[in-house]
Amino acid sequence: MRLAQHSSHQVDYSKSLNFIFNNKRYKGYEGDTLASALLANDSFLFARSFKYGRKRGLMAAGVEEPNALVSLEIGGRYTPNLKATEITLYDGLSAVSASNPNAFDMRAFIKPLHRFMPAGFYYKTFIKQKVWAKVEDSIRAFSGFSKAPTEEDVDVYDHIFHHAEVVVIGGGAAGISAALEVLNNSEKERVILVDERSQLGGELFNEFSSDEAAMTWHKDSVNRLLSFSNKDSERFTLLTQSTAYAWHDQNFIEVLETITTAESLTSSESQKARKIVHRIRAKEVILATGAHERPMLFEANDLTNIMLSQSVRRYLHEYGVISGKKVVIYGNNDSIYSTAKDLHVNDIECIVVDVRSSEKPIEIISELKDSGVKVLQGYSIVKALGSHRVKGVEIKQTMLQGNSWQVFGDTETLSCDLLATSGGFNPVVHLDCHNGAKTYFDEVSQSFLPQQDRDNREVCGAVAGAGAWQDAIIDAKNKAQFTLNALGVVSKLTQEILSENYSNFFNVSQFFTPKEILNMPKVFLDLQNDVTTLDVALSIREGYRSIEHIKRYTAMGFGTDQGKTGNINGIAVAAELLEIPMSEVGTTTFRPAYTGVDFGAMAGREIGDFFDPQRYTTIHDSHVASGAEFEVVGQWYRPWYYPKTGENMHQAVHRECLAARTSLGMMDASTLGKIDVQGSDAREFLSRVYTNAWMKLAPGSCRYGLMCNEKGMIIDDGVSACINNNHFIMTTTTGGAASVYSALEMWLQTEWSDLDVHLNSVTDQYSTVAVVGPNARKLMKLLCQDVDFERENFKFMQWRQGTVCGVDARIMRISFSGELAYEINVEANYGRYIWDQVAITGEQWNITPYGTESMHVLRAEKGYIIVGQDTDGSMTPMDVNMSWILAKDKSFSYVGRRSFSISALCTEDRLQLVGLMTKDSSTVLPEGANAIDNKGKSIGYVTSSYFSPILNRSIAMAQIKGGLSKIGETVLVKIVQKKQGLKEIPCEISSSVFYDIEGEKVDGND
Amino acid sequence: MLLIHCPYCKESRDQSEFSPAGEAFIARPKNPEGISDEEWADYVFYRTNHKGNHWEQWVHANGCRKYFLVERSTISHQILQVAPFGARNNETEL
Ligand SMILES: [Zn+2]
Repeated sequence: MRLAQHSSHQVDYSKSLNFIFNNKRYKGYEGDTLASALLANDSFLFARSFKYGRKRGLMAAGVEEPNALVSLEIGGRYTPNLKATEITLYDGLSAVSASNPNAFDMRAFIKPLHRFMPAGFYYKTFIKQKVWAKVEDSIRAFSGFSKAPTEEDVDVYDHIFHHAEVVVIGGGAAGISAALEVLNNSEKERVILVDERSQLGGELFNEFSSDEAAMTWHKDSVNRLLSFSNKDSERFTLLTQSTAYAWHDQNFIEVLETITTAESLTSSESQKARKIVHRIRAKEVILATGAHERPMLFEANDLTNIMLSQSVRRYLHEYGVISGKKVVIYGNNDSIYSTAKDLHVNDIECIVVDVRSSEKPIEIISELKDSGVKVLQGYSIVKALGSHRVKGVEIKQTMLQGNSWQVFGDTETLSCDLLATSGGFNPVVHLDCHNGAKTYFDEVSQSFLPQQDRDNREVCGAVAGAGAWQDAIIDAKNKAQFTLNALGVVSKLTQEILSENYSNFFNVSQFFTPKEILNMPKVFLDLQNDVTTLDVALSIREGYRSIEHIKRYTAMGFGTDQGKTGNINGIAVAAELLEIPMSEVGTTTFRPAYTGVDFGAMAGREIGDFFDPQRYTTIHDSHVASGAEFEVVGQWYRPWYYPKTGENMHQAVHRECLAARTSLGMMDASTLGKIDVQGSDAREFLSRVYTNAWMKLAPGSCRYGLMCNEKGMIIDDGVSACINNNHFIMTTTTGGAASVYSALEMWLQTEWSDLDVHLNSVTDQYSTVAVVGPNARKLMKLLCQDVDFERENFKFMQWRQGTVCGVDARIMRISFSGELAYEINVEANYGRYIWDQVAITGEQWNITPYGTESMHVLRAEKGYIIVGQDTDGSMTPMDVNMSWILAKDKSFSYVGRRSFSISALCTEDRLQLVGLMTKDSSTVLPEGANAIDNKGKSIGYVTSSYFSPILNRSIAMAQIKGGLSKIGETVLVKIVQKKQGLKEIPCEISSSVFYDIEGEKVDGND
Repeated sequence: MLLIHCPYCKESRDQSEFSPAGEAFIARPKNPEGISDEEWADYVFYRTNHKGNHWEQWVHANGCRKYFLVERSTISHQILQVAPFGARNNETEL
């Protein structure tokens, strides 16, 4: 319910908002979170638990909330698994619980089985028994998380980069104070302050009703901060509703900002970003990340309306909301008395239960007692009563004897409808640990504190152990002085004195983990994953000792909340059961991200057309006009085939292949990688990186080369042309261009810097039109008059400089199809012009453009390999039957050569490239299909497979164990056919050259 | 994400502009045919995977395309120094 007379810093009661939760309509106010608005409407149920289907409500008010997971909006705005405590309310909001607490739940039936579902239950029951695959879907449907989105995200997300001298993370008392101190004492240093809440102040709001000084300080300080950003937006940047979720090396910080306006979330036109990832590179970091309260442990501590004490205060102060009329406040530190005072001031009935016995009287306790509040010291809650919502508690007397807690005496019962607990505070050390820092266990505050000295970072406020807000402010000022000093801005430090209570974090007693309580059922540590103290005990009985293993065995801290409330209690329980100190147990590893980050935010604007660069040749528009289908090859959009009206792919490829074989085809070969190699040692360089000889290649000639790495494995192939003795043009595969270029540079720069060789990538500088087919020479004679195309004068593997349709061109007579072919290379921007001229002039021979698919068929008919398709990075030249390309007499041991003689690369049963001819000539094998021996074991696989139009039968290439010595033998290839199911296809192992074995076609017709 | 100073461009730039290129000072044997399989394998496959300050090669792939040397802590990822390769880089002493 909402308090009648409440003035809030946070909520604007003049602006009411409508929203829908779990199909019901509600009203809230501007400034509410979804959680506070629902509590105000007396709606407590948020979830069904993960494993047991128990009903759960809110436990916290902020980022640490484990239960209240909801999915927001529908359709293209649907976002799963957000915390209701972190969703700022807007008009028209609609949300549903991740696991609907009111829906019929299957788990209600297996409820009596609770005791049979300990940690490791699923593994032991299903995975070990090998039935997991059958039951996985139905078990996953139980889990307490939202369904994954099914529609495309309609929202826009942005990335913004920042540079700053100082980043302050956390906008509570300490963060505000630190940022102000830096700004006040420097002139041009840029400061960014990041806070996850919508308003600066953090836990300071909890002091407002009882401490006027806190309120005044907050107002003044925030105004002073804002005046900096008003004066000079460069100097101070404030990011609210922004969570710093990762801190990487060299002070690189990632922040997720949530923009919540009704306009941005409900309007279909809005192009405003919904979330922004800020990437900040800072010189100095000040962490003021505060602390999270941890709950107390007792039986049924997961009932609805059992909340953290500070969260109860936060709902009260910030939103004027309280979810009960009769409150029991239970804990082990002085903060519970502040909660009691705040509730009492607002006329809410409360009883305080403190596990600590009274030692010295504290002012606030006597004050409360005097005003009629019941205070029970030396008592503990052993069990919460109620079926779903808490109705009361059972308490017993408690005493600390030596190092262990004793629970004794008769059970008494207190009734209540809200239970607030505080088991101390966990400093939020997560970010610090992302970046490699360690924590240490501090006995006084009973918490893991951040490592003390680190370069370029300070910690201040609650995360450093400061309990009271006044101390946090002074601590922050002092730490900011160190930061200014590190930046060289101030040399003289003016440190202020802290109060004597500084390190005494709310006077916390030792963890309350008596064995009597740990041995009870349903004492939950991790509410999101339903991990209890008994699960931790079981994991220890089963032999796990490291907290990292206990975590993985029990799944404690694996939820979307990453165990923010439960983990440290789990460590305390493990310490108690292992009978070792907390410091020896240590923490689990904190890794990014601190909170969930939307995939949309990670992707930012790099989606759709901006996901990856798209490369087009200058001829692209013509391919589009011709109706080509495209395939993407290493970012290039290459024509795949050119279907005519009514043709399918098979028919188009058939027509294209026959045109190239019988008359004339043309192809855009511009995407092949081209590297310009120049220098007096260019020839020597090629000899070192290719397996074959290059020393005698004359200017005007070309040569095919095969490139290996030092492991002896094929990495690329292509034709290089000798322009002159100091100049070669190397071509690489389309996909391999960048990596080959990079590998060549590495050799030159790191190993052979004595060679006079310079490389430049010229792929984009040339357009290449290939003219292919027996009539190619006739066409070239028409296109180019200043080159002698007679077969004796312009031989295969030569190139000529000439003028094609008025454009300077290098014409190379090379062939990837076995037919007579010329590749016309012109300056890139003439590509389209030359393409069109070739097409028009070639009409008399019915010139036919063909794409990559026909190119693949044509080359396979000739047995030419495609690196990356017929090879996979573990193939040597010998494996692909290309020993002929290994030069024997080079003076320099070329790259990869030494590896060829390593025994493992010389065995007989290596996978070797051979041809496969199906006995039934119409069956086309699927690529990737396995060849099997007579025992059904795989002996290799199909790498390339097509129907060859010119041969009118299927052809395939395959890697078969010892295949080269099995030519002529029959092998079975296992395939799956749609109707017949599994089938074994008999094939003959053959040479991989299927067509024109003698190589007679390369000279074409005159 | 590291901030790397390119000794050629003389600027500290984001890691996304660079590519790592393995451990530094792995010299290619002068006479590969004259050494044993084990020695060759040591050059091709084996690296120290050193814990601590470590010399490695980086290339300013989306910048000046130069390879250079980086001394980096494999524990803290802190970059201690960068250096260009010498004229006869394999023997460069740093
Ligand atoms: Zn550079």
